[in-house]
Amino acid sequence: MLLNAVVIVLREVLEASLIISVFLALSQILNRSLKWMLLALVLGLISGFIYAGTISTVSMAFGGIGQEIVNATINILIFIALIIFVYAIPHQTNQRCRQLTVIAIMSTVILAIMREGSEVLLFITGFIGVPDLLGPVLMGGAVGAGLGVSVGVFIYYFIVNLIPRYGVWVGYLLLLLVAGSLMSQAVEFLIQADLLTSSEPVWNSSNIIDEHSVAGQLLFALLGYEATPQTSQVIAYICSMTALFCVAMFSFIKRDRN
Amino acid sequence: MKSIRLYLLLALLATITLVNFVSLLHGYQSSMQKAQNLFDSRLESTAILIASANSRQVGQETVTNQQTPYTFFQIIDDNGQLLTRSENAPDKVLGELEQGFHIINFGSYRWRNYVYRDTVLQRWVIVAERIDIRYMLAEDVVMESLLPIVMAIPVAALIIWFAVGIGLKPLNAFASQLSERRADDLRPIELERVPKELTTVVNNTNSLLLRLAEAFDREQRFSADAAHELRTPVSVLKVHLHNLRTRLGKDDEDIILLRDGVERMGHLIEQILALYRTSPDQAAVKFEHVDLFKMVQEIIARGYDAFESKQQEIELDGESHIIEGNVFALETLISNLLNNANKYTPEKGQIHAVVRRHEEGVLLRVEDSGPGIPEDQYQRVFERFYRLHGDQHNSGVVGCGLGLTIVKHIADLHHASIQLGTSAWGHGLRVDVIFPLRAVNYA
Amino acid sequence: MRRVGLFLFLSIMVMPVLAGPPVVEIEIRDHLFFPDEVKIPANTKVKLLVKNMDPTAEEFESYELNREKVIAGNSQAFIFIGPLPAGVYPFFGEFFPKTAQGKVIAE
Repeated sequence: MLLNAVVIVLREVLEASLIISVFLALSQILNRSLKWMLLALVLGLISGFIYAGTISTVSMAFGGIGQEIVNATINILIFIALIIFVYAIPHQTNQRCRQLTVIAIMSTVILAIMREGSEVLLFITGFIGVPDLLGPVLMGGAVGAGLGVSVGVFIYYFIVNLIPRYGVWVGYLLLLLVAGSLMSQAVEFLIQADLLTSSEPVWNSSNIIDEHSVAGQLLFALLGYEATPQTSQVIAYICSMTALFCVAMFSFIKRDRN
Repeated sequence: MKSIRLYLLLALLATITLVNFVSLLHGYQSSMQKAQNLFDSRLESTAILIASANSRQVGQETVTNQQTPYTFFQIIDDNGQLLTRSENAPDKVLGELEQGFHIINFGSYRWRNYVYRDTVLQRWVIVAERIDIRYMLAEDVVMESLLPIVMAIPVAALIIWFAVGIGLKPLNAFASQLSERRADDLRPIELERVPKELTTVVNNTNSLLLRLAEAFDREQRFSADAAHELRTPVSVLKVHLHNLRTRLGKDDEDIILLRDGVERMGHLIEQILALYRTSPDQAAVKFEHVDLFKMVQEIIARGYDAFESKQQEIELDGESHIIEGNVFALETLISNLLNNANKYTPEKGQIHAVVRRHEEGVLLRVEDSGPGIPEDQYQRVFERFYRLHGDQHNSGVVGCGLGLTIVKHIADLHHASIQLGTSAWGHGLRVDVIFPLRAVNYA
Repeated sequence: MRRVGLFLFLSIMVMPVLAGPPVVEIEIRDHLFFPDEVKIPANTKVKLLVKNMDPTAEEFESYELNREKVIAGNSQAFIFIGPLPAGVYPFFGEFFPKTAQGKVIAE
């Protein structure tokens, strides 16, 4: 059970800590308002608790596709926060843009923790009635969380210490990957809910990098890797990256013109 | 990266966590593998044991001895006929009949079984064990050895936090020495122990401070010497001017202009000397008890002609207050404030001086009905040679831009604070100098 | 971005009108799938009804089907799959992957 718990918790924590560390590093806001971060963390955990507690009700809503809709919505909202973030970040001298940055970061942290946290909570709370397995699961959870947060810390300091010359670009590259993976997942949820039509996979790379393998899991967490993606997923991936890239460029150009 | 301490804590902790946890997982996996091998070899020996223990038994009956629910056995002949089995075993053959280990599903559990070929009696002996129980047992054993690794992380965090704190102590000491010292304190920084990494910083800072101190000293000495040297020729000039006036017997316009110019020069020199003598770093200043109210009273009386000539109304309120201070310096401060009020207040204006008790000490207030100073200039008027509106000073008043600088120096010398504001008339300047009562102890 | 939102909105509106695809039931008991082999027609959309009889939550996951869905303890959930070309598509319960394993066979 331990290894299993490590894999599940690590995957969820890694996804959340990747987004959060890149945001924090790019905005350098951690030093400015630690209490906002803590507030967002607590709010995210509370929302995660609520979502985990109501998962069966949510699942059966909208004719049994409530969970897919909520998950897709969360992903889309994080993507919107990402867009707002890259728009606002070059204009930190502007009071309104600073507020927008804080709002974008807060909502991203809350949503990311809510989504990933609810899965971890559901997984771990299931073992409360099984004392034989609770120990290994809790330890596996601690190990997974420790690994995920450690990687987040490294990403954060990596970007911060590279700033300003290369760090920004590394950060933006990671954000692009996150955006692509978020939207590709959102589309997958909508296909799963039968709201988008399913198609033949565009390619099948499962014999090169299997999604079951460690490399596959890591690539999934980092770039949203899929061995057998659908056409609409690939389109969403590319479009969301392009959109984010354009907004970022537009914002930089706008600042340089002023 | 805002804090080195936080960076070191997080980076070290993340490194320890990553390295430890990855090796923990590795250890877990190999231990689990070892445990599985152990269970497998036990399963194998159990099968051989059962085969030899049941060597004479031929009847097709179920054995109901104390079987744990987690294991079962079956004995099967070559035709696939069940000869005997434990009570909880399936009544038919599951999986392949081939010597070795297999995995089967039975009774909603997954089982690890060992199929043993009993060559003596030409039959198969199957022993099976529940996989989840095997994992649980193995995990139980492995867990015990892994728990300390996880528990060590918070302890490591605590130790790193304090260790890094101690490591950064010289840096903090250096920083606090720099921030706590007064702006004019240019003595070199002394640290008890200077680590290698800080040596260059401390040495360079100290040599910088030294050069700065020398430069300040030179500058001050130069202006003081220059002023002092100029005093004599100006006095001589005054005498000659006086003689010239008496000889000519009338006040020629040029003579009056010349006299004003010489007066101004004399005033400037006196002010520069006062500035030097009252600089806070002139440590050798004698402090004594001074009655501030009485002193203000005397200075007003002494300069009454000046107020009279502009038909200004001057008023002094308050009561006697003894403070600790230098007589010459305080006289200079008061006369500078009153002079300013006199100069910048138009004819028939009002001037109000107050000496009274204040919650933080003793307050000396001088306010006038003049034009005052715009709020954004409050900081700049204390700079040397700074004059409001620069050269286009529209008041047409003679001044050198040192008056308030000297006032500030003297206030600093007495640890007094200065606040500028708008006077009770709504437009003039109000100067509040608050002498702390603690000043008594400084002396 | 906006189009996806609009699509989502429209889809929710027209949902009740859609005729449902065939439903296949799978139960989860003691962290095992029953049946652990599901035969479905190839190139047809199918709705899986997964009933979790365990008190613990389970996540139905399949890399081959590109599906993942959390099913809380003692509850059920729908998962749409297909249309799929003929083949074998393994799925597993992510929370108990050692025991909860099964496959969809499209033929």
